[in-house]
Amino acid sequence: MLIFFILGIPILLAAGAFFSKRPRVFGIINVFGYLSILLASIVLLKDIAFAGHTLFFFSFLYIDTLSAYFIFVISVVSFATALYSVGYIGKDMQSGAISENKAKMYYLLFNLFCFSMFFVPAVNNLGMLWVAIEMTTLISAFLVGFYNTKQSVEAAWKYIIICSVGIIFALLGTILFSYAFSLAGGAKSLNWTDMVAAAGGMDKNILKVAFIFILVGYGTKAGLAPMHTWLPDAHSQAVTPISALLSGVLLKTAIYAILRFGIIVIEGVGFGYFSHLMILLGLISLGVSCSFILVQKDLKRLLAYSSIEHVGIIAIGLGLGTPLAWGGALLHVFNHAVTKSLMFFGAGDIVSAYKRHNMKMIRGVIRVLPFAGVMTLAGMFALTGFPPFSIFVSELIIIIAAFTKGSYVVAVLFLLFIAIIFGAFAYQFGKMLFGNLPKGMAKAPEPLSGKLAFLFLFVQMLAVGGVVLFMKKDLLWIVQGLLTR
Amino acid sequence: MQGIVLFGVLACTYLMVIAKRMPALIRNFRYQSFFLFLATFVTAFQERQIDLYIIAGLLFVLKVIAIPYVLYRVIKRTKVNEDLGLFVNAQLSLLSALGLTYLSWILARHLVAPVDRVEVSTFTVALFMVSTGIFLMILRMTALAQIIGLLVMENGLFLLASMVSGGMPFFVEIAIFFDVFVSVVIMGFFLYRINKLFTHIDVNKLSRLKG
Repeated sequence: MLIFFILGIPILLAAGAFFSKRPRVFGIINVFGYLSILLASIVLLKDIAFAGHTLFFFSFLYIDTLSAYFIFVISVVSFATALYSVGYIGKDMQSGAISENKAKMYYLLFNLFCFSMFFVPAVNNLGMLWVAIEMTTLISAFLVGFYNTKQSVEAAWKYIIICSVGIIFALLGTILFSYAFSLAGGAKSLNWTDMVAAAGGMDKNILKVAFIFILVGYGTKAGLAPMHTWLPDAHSQAVTPISALLSGVLLKTAIYAILRFGIIVIEGVGFGYFSHLMILLGLISLGVSCSFILVQKDLKRLLAYSSIEHVGIIAIGLGLGTPLAWGGALLHVFNHAVTKSLMFFGAGDIVSAYKRHNMKMIRGVIRVLPFAGVMTLAGMFALTGFPPFSIFVSELIIIIAAFTKGSYVVAVLFLLFIAIIFGAFAYQFGKMLFGNLPKGMAKAPEPLSGKLAFLFLFVQMLAVGGVVLFMKKDLLWIVQGLLTR
Repeated sequence: MQGIVLFGVLACTYLMVIAKRMPALIRNFRYQSFFLFLATFVTAFQERQIDLYIIAGLLFVLKVIAIPYVLYRVIKRTKVNEDLGLFVNAQLSLLSALGLTYLSWILARHLVAPVDRVEVSTFTVALFMVSTGIFLMILRMTALAQIIGLLVMENGLFLLASMVSGGMPFFVEIAIFFDVFVSVVIMGFFLYRINKLFTHIDVNKLSRLKG
């Protein structure tokens, strides 16, 4: 029943936002709502991972370890975002950038967006999965075009068009999957559980073509490289808390969808096909993001390209396909979500203090925003894979998996790209954080809710990697269960 | 019957490829949707399934009446030039459409055992519609053509789903219809905003965000 609680709270909060009189007070209620969702999702994950049972509700919803894990990741980031929103939207309302009605609108859309994202991993039917992912696009388009400037409307238009086309391909892929399923003698059903059970008897030819469409379709939404063009625009123009949600978890829901279809393909066609495609796209993503990060001038676009990099890393981990690599990739999903959210919060504070995105104009952040500045510095090291942060652990696991599997070329390219990206990040952030203060900049206020959000994410960014090292046996056992059914 | 529907849909798609003005594009989209409605309605009549009747009804209400109405309104309200702005002229577009048809046929034959002729031609037409949708989105300059391109792709998928795999499960079909309608409304909304902020809807000139 926990899943109904998790899906129900955002709907209730959305209704509350619609009827609330005072957005400021509602922001705080919102935080408590997401705190309760976070607790519920932890209990759900624990129940399902350790008791090992999966739940059915008229076989419409289906929760296994994979989906419980993704729900957990979404709840962590949405809680942090709800917390950060209180201060951020409050500041925007004070400065008159948005009206009170607009703030209400923000909370309404925020909750609907979170609901659609929670819905993605919970649903069993692959057609409804498609609908849920399209729903995330449609709702978040408003949040991308929220400020109604020329840039943001342009970004929203590109976002909605490119993602809708992409997702149409995903629907084509889904139909081809169901065609293969009906040829294999299945009944008229799009349930994932039924399809996996029949995967062995499906036509390999059709499955291969279908998976390409799926990969192009959901890969667009996930931000995998040749289809990533909407991502930097949308991420840089969205309201900052929403940038964190987009980058932290929206991309991951698409990865989840690819993974669900991937499991069917692995069962039906064998591992090689899935593996080659994922590693190829992952390496292209790393290469593309690396070259754009080197020449980037806009702070939020820099972070957006870094999201493409990390999605590439996740794709490589999934493509390598040993239990160790999948463990690393799934861990990376969580690590990237918390670290990138923290970085976007930092970037949001910096942008609203300096009133500009261009990194050449931003100098001396540490003195203007002492708390956010320090957090951003730590986040920068975490994001580029420095110990003792969690991303270091998950990247290390993926590299070890690549070497033990004998994919030396992949491992070497991976290391090379990461090293270049670290150089670019250290250069840009070093100048931004420590450079000479521009004239007329005073210390900017930092709201309490923002600080709490930073601390919450910082603890996870720091501690989870270490915890995982102690629990690696349990983890590998769980991932093994995902791979072999 | 299936032959007539396939032919009608194909003809409408070709007419869309050579259309130079927005109303023509919308009108042909309406005809195309009408043929799909006809196919669904006949199947419903033959199989006596209440589900299919409902789907046919929704198809008629949403795609033959509501969506074209919304799009016509958008044109009227934005008061833009009705030219689509072709990057390639009509003749060349027609030639490319022929090429796309051939490519779709090759892919269809690769996917379906060639014994079943109806299935192969359904696959061909559906894949052709999907590729034409993309063609319209890329090679026409206005934002409205992009919306219609998307709808053509979606129509192609509807054809594929209904004829090849016996249709999606009922509630999925309903959800997809709803989704498509909502997305058209939202895109129309953004089209207003683009027109208001930029005073044109030429997507080729939307190039503020780079790098």
